[in-house]
Amino acid sequence: MTWEFRKGACGEYELLLEDYLNGALGSSEKATVEQHLRACVPCRAAFENAAASVRLMRLAGPSDGPGPAFARTVMARIRAAEDRVAERMGVWQPLVRFGWRFAATATLVLGVLVTYDAGWVRPAQRGANGARVAAMTDIFAPDPGKAPASRDEVLMMEAEVTHGN
Amino acid sequence: MAASAAALTLPLDRKAKREEDRELVRLSQSGTESAFEELVRRHQQRVFALVGGILRRQEDVEDVAQQVFLKAFLGIKRFDQRAAFSTWLYKIAVNECWDYLRKKKVRPLVYESDLSEEQVSRLDGIVSADRPPEGPNTRAEARELLERMLSALPEQDRQLLVLKEMEGFSVQELAEILDLNVNTVKVRLFRARGRIMEAYRRRADAQSKAAGVAAAQKKG
Repeated sequence: MTWEFRKGACGEYELLLEDYLNGALGSSEKATVEQHLRACVPCRAAFENAAASVRLMRLAGPSDGPGPAFARTVMARIRAAEDRVAERMGVWQPLVRFGWRFAATATLVLGVLVTYDAGWVRPAQRGANGARVAAMTDIFAPDPGKAPASRDEVLMMEAEVTHGN
Repeated sequence: MAASAAALTLPLDRKAKREEDRELVRLSQSGTESAFEELVRRHQQRVFALVGGILRRQEDVEDVAQQVFLKAFLGIKRFDQRAAFSTWLYKIAVNECWDYLRKKKVRPLVYESDLSEEQVSRLDGIVSADRPPEGPNTRAEARELLERMLSALPEQDRQLLVLKEMEGFSVQELAEILDLNVNTVKVRLFRARGRIMEAYRRRADAQSKAAGVAAAQKKG
């Protein structure tokens, strides 16, 4: 083994070295890289390593391709899958259709209820509740019809309350 | 803008193929099964290469490749043709491979045993002499030896190297398929090349030391 191994090339040259290896550099960049390779031992070693790895990798060649019947097999599998789906849909289709209709109706009804509750019922209810509360507070308020007219009547009312309890 | 610039730089035959693919996709989307079958024929080789490059298990490749085309068929109506059909298909293939590996809970391929001394010296000869393998046996052997070395690399390094050097994918294609920046792919590839040679050197060193010890014991 004659290569000099090293962990890495100059960071700023890694990209260029890969392009150089793949023959993807323009003439000016190629000249820059070649000049750098002449001057930088670690980069030269890394590049030689990379070139050796290309040789190594290309020895094995691509993996085996598909057999001649592959496309037909795929299409047969696709048709079988389609048949299965159609069959499944055939059995469940009425149920699925009923489910969708039920869901649509339920959504519509729910929408109507929510709108009705928010838009029309609430204000009316609020009015009725307000009246009920007002009525409740009236119990504790002095009856305007029976308001004491004099000091004696006030004393009489107080006596009624005290003795009444 | 970038996409149209890329399209302009494509070689003419690739551009024509891409146009034909677009038409076949349109026909497939309208329900013409024979158009999809033609797409399968056109791309089966590359899908096999991609799946084979990731899984490295020949016995599983056909099954996964079939699954890839089945998924493509089921999803083709949703494919909007903004990307090339091949890129879209290869992404399905990559995802399918990862799903498969996840389900099986295996690493793509792991060799437990080390290289023999004879194998190391044969590899040494092949790598430094820069000569192609002589026959099918040598090629199969080279592949087997290489697989052992690749198993020492991190998964992504291994995939990049295999797809680029063995299966012939371009840097641009790899960037698209694996959702990586082109420059990232290049730098990773360059580092991966260093790593595989390092792994090779480690194994070769260990092997020659072991051989030395065995020879010394024999003498003793």
